Amino acid sequence: MALDSNKWAENKLLWSALAIFALVVVLTVSLNGSKGLQWILSGLVVGSIYSLIAMGFSVIYSSTRVINFAQGEFSMLGGMLMYTFATKAHVSIWLSFVLSVLVVALIGAAFEQTAIYKLRGSSVITVIIVTIGFSIFLKAIAKWIWGTDPVKIAPFTGEKAITIFKAAIVPQSFWVFGLTVLAVAALFLFFSRTLVGKGMRAAAANSDAASLVGVSTNTTSLIAWTLAAGLGAAAGIIIGPITPPSFSSGLMLGLKGFSAAVLGGLGNIQGAVVGGLMLGVLENIIAGVLPTGYKEAFAFLVLILVLLIRPQGLLGKPEDVKV
Amino acid sequence: MHKKSGFGSAALLICLIMVVGIMAAGCGKKKVSGSKSVYKIGVVLSLSQAQAALGVPEQNALKLLEKKVNDEGGIEGHRVQFLIEDDESLPAKSKEKFTKLVNQEGVTAVIGTSFSGGTAAMTEDAEKNKIPLIGLSATTSLTHPVKKWTFRTPPTTQMVVERALGYIQKNLKLKKIGVLYDSGLFGTEGYETVKATAGKYGLEVVAAESYGTNDPDMTAQLTKIKSTPAQALIVWGTGPAPSIIAKNVQQLAMTIPYIGSHGIANQTFINLAGDAANGVVFPAGRVLVPSSIPADSDWRKTVDEFAKSYKEAYKTEVNTFAGHGWDAGLIMTEAMKAAIKANGDQEKLSASVIRDQIEKTKDLTGIAGTFTYSPSNHDGLKIDDLIMIKIENGAWTEAKSS
Amino acid sequence: MERYLKPAGNKRDYRVLLIVSLVILTVPLWARLIPGEVLHMDIVNIMVLTGIYACAVLGLNLLVGYAGQISLGHAAFFGIGAYTTAILTTRLHWFPSWLGILLAMVVAGVIGYLVGVPVLRLKGNYLAMATLGLGAIASILFSQVKWLTNGNEGIMGIRYLSIFGFKFDSDIKFYFAVWVLVLLIMLFSINTVRSRVGRALRALHSSEVAADAMGVNTGSVKTRVFVLSAALAGLGGALFAHYEQFVSPESFVFSISILFITMVVVGGMGNIWGGLVGVLFLSFLPPVIQALPQWIPGIPSSVTNFSNYELVLYGLLLIVFMIFMPRGIAYGLARGAQMASRGAKHVGERLQARKYEEHK
Repeated sequence: MALDSNKWAENKLLWSALAIFALVVVLTVSLNGSKGLQWILSGLVVGSIYSLIAMGFSVIYSSTRVINFAQGEFSMLGGMLMYTFATKAHVSIWLSFVLSVLVVALIGAAFEQTAIYKLRGSSVITVIIVTIGFSIFLKAIAKWIWGTDPVKIAPFTGEKAITIFKAAIVPQSFWVFGLTVLAVAALFLFFSRTLVGKGMRAAAANSDAASLVGVSTNTTSLIAWTLAAGLGAAAGIIIGPITPPSFSSGLMLGLKGFSAAVLGGLGNIQGAVVGGLMLGVLENIIAGVLPTGYKEAFAFLVLILVLLIRPQGLLGKPEDVKV
Repeated sequence: MHKKSGFGSAALLICLIMVVGIMAAGCGKKKVSGSKSVYKIGVVLSLSQAQAALGVPEQNALKLLEKKVNDEGGIEGHRVQFLIEDDESLPAKSKEKFTKLVNQEGVTAVIGTSFSGGTAAMTEDAEKNKIPLIGLSATTSLTHPVKKWTFRTPPTTQMVVERALGYIQKNLKLKKIGVLYDSGLFGTEGYETVKATAGKYGLEVVAAESYGTNDPDMTAQLTKIKSTPAQALIVWGTGPAPSIIAKNVQQLAMTIPYIGSHGIANQTFINLAGDAANGVVFPAGRVLVPSSIPADSDWRKTVDEFAKSYKEAYKTEVNTFAGHGWDAGLIMTEAMKAAIKANGDQEKLSASVIRDQIEKTKDLTGIAGTFTYSPSNHDGLKIDDLIMIKIENGAWTEAKSS
Repeated sequence: MERYLKPAGNKRDYRVLLIVSLVILTVPLWARLIPGEVLHMDIVNIMVLTGIYACAVLGLNLLVGYAGQISLGHAAFFGIGAYTTAILTTRLHWFPSWLGILLAMVVAGVIGYLVGVPVLRLKGNYLAMATLGLGAIASILFSQVKWLTNGNEGIMGIRYLSIFGFKFDSDIKFYFAVWVLVLLIMLFSINTVRSRVGRALRALHSSEVAADAMGVNTGSVKTRVFVLSAALAGLGGALFAHYEQFVSPESFVFSISILFITMVVVGGMGNIWGGLVGVLFLSFLPPVIQALPQWIPGIPSSVTNFSNYELVLYGLLLIVFMIFMPRGIAYGLARGAQMASRGAKHVGERLQARKYEEHK
């Protein structure tokens, strides 16, 4: 499940992929100097965003085998709510952050209870349609409340860019990195140290056995959805100052985060991080090196190639890819 | 004994659905009582999905105009009614709504739609069915070459580009330019027009990069442009991206001037880009800087009145899209007035009569400028109706031009 | 119960097809009679696009409902068909449009084969993701390969469909052309499902493993259905091009793929009528939602003035539908009919029993 990735040491493919990646990075910087460093730095920021979204997908997928097409919308809602609390109502940043995350987490939980729970055991396509319906619904509600314009979220600690060897990033980027690290650590601790988390892993691996010892799939699913919704919201808030959210910004985030999750291994938290960072950096290098316009197709190309060649992604196990 | 088959029920359901749907589609046709007939004008706008940011202000403006015209006695006593349909930013729906308005509602003139693909789809039908259409989208090709039944109110991309290039040549006195454009239709058309017209203004495009409309970060493309001899950066796109680019430019400590497109002619750009918006220049209509219009002129009065009533009604500042919607409605209603003056009062004005009067529009003061059409010009506006606007201290001022 | 829910095509279906055909092909006549000042042309208008979409949806229904696969990118094939005929007929003025449509089907089918073979090895969610990615790439290609597709500006001025001199230049003519084709596709589907291929499909759907063990060449069956569904979507696209006379990448975006698959699922997967029910239902749903304020007085105008409330309702309806009728309308109906007839039977028996009692 989320943490039971193929033991890192034994995963030859993973190491080769990381090695090639490192090589590409080094080449880029040496051939392009500070320009190359900028691509990589910016790529890491964007990649962290992808990672956070990917983590949301993975948490839900690993517990319930459901692909949540509304994951991007959770991030969008987080950002929009943050705007309402912090920018419009002038509530303090931290309180707004907590409130926004809570509201979205509640929405995720509510959806899980009304829809996902009822559809336990239905065909894959039925569940897909339900989550798609949910994303349409959320998008329409967002447009109703906030209109069509992107909204402003003030950076947490200022705007002035910081230069590192002639490559510049904005202070908000550090919050993005910080949240990513925090999320990985928190999820790791949750799944490996807490009873609830361990129970969820058990349920994901073998739900019958788990229910025999008292772990119910219902609770697992509810917790997963609440977690993923909250995580998605946090992601949307943290990148809001860099990329202003609007009612339709969920789609792009969702698709990219999704590709990142598949690259790393759907259902795998560490995979989400690896996949996200790699995708972000490589996208930027492609944009820098190749003629303009190829960047957009890159994420989808990665998605398809991974699915065709190694659907379980870099960190996943072949058994993960069962119907 | 016949058991009703589930599948037979499916067939019955199919018929039932169709009947209900048909009745639903037919709903909403209210008989208007009154002495004089109501003049109906069809309107197709993108009120949802991708292009909603354009369609909603256009709708707001048309509703305002409808009220104003009717309050002032209508069109020689005839009430005016804009029948507004949403095409959901899909060309197939634009065409469907156009047909619905013409066939079901019997309109003899249509305004719309907000985006180029939809307008292109409708223009085919307009020409085929001989219905005058006033388009609200930006692409030059809508009216070049001129099509008999299709007109427009927004300036062509060609005009906007020339306004910007002229500024770079005469005011900034620069020669080499870099272009960063949205890979969608708006941005690509902007770039190709810049490329084709640069020579006319003694400019050379030394760098060109594109980005996706929803991309979160454009530093990669900007570093490439930074390393070329480009002396000015032209950014052509809509949505949040131009504001992200403005911040990226600041982040990378790029010092070359940022020249945007009319896609950033809204307060949102300033809100999102914050400090980075200052110094940005872009071509747009004068409605954003009413003080650039000579005081006491008709134009100034019209714009001030419009901005005021728009704000009162919708609690938000007016923008150029609203202006284009207003202008289209104005031209349409004025053409109808002229038609009655020329041909006498009629129960219903025919399409060809309306078309002819639209084409005869001369020096009509709208929001975006003064409109004059002719058989060879269905654009209405000229380059000089546009100004270069500079953002200073978070507000718009006219960039003094020669 | 099983008799109602088994996806088997049988003689009943032919009878139903006959009735449905009669109803649909005479719409232009009887639509006039419906009260509400409705011009019959308006229905014809909506139905043309419905029929065009139906081509894609019927093919997709076979793929999803019978072969048990998923495709979230079918708008790509729709678009490929549209662009094929658009490019051929606008660049080569002599190129006959009916040939353009045939070629559109072939090209879509061939591309369907090329992508289908590798992609169909995946299952369930993974297959869904792969088709989603393919659809997205197709979208990007439509707008970036400018020398072929004219990019975002699209291709204008596509000719009318004409077959040996007869031009389909009005809604009515197109209506008949499209719906005759759709009904023929229905006939073909019913036939297919009754045949050996159909049985193989059903075996495949219930358990790929078992089907494999029984000697069904699952790989080739899946591919063949995929190719067929791609070709049918291409057919729809080609008709779309000649009807709209304008194609641009905007008409083939992700939301259209979702629309197709939603029509299949909401209509009823694995039921031969599912596709048709779905496409009709979802095509007429927006006008119904739009008309709701007139039928239900209490909705405040702040809600209805907002044109997006339709989308809110649409999303909600999808969710509610899937929860209460996860197998689609056709099944919900069948169950309803079953329960109704059981109820009627129950009442009938009770009455009989009472009659006996009284006659004692």
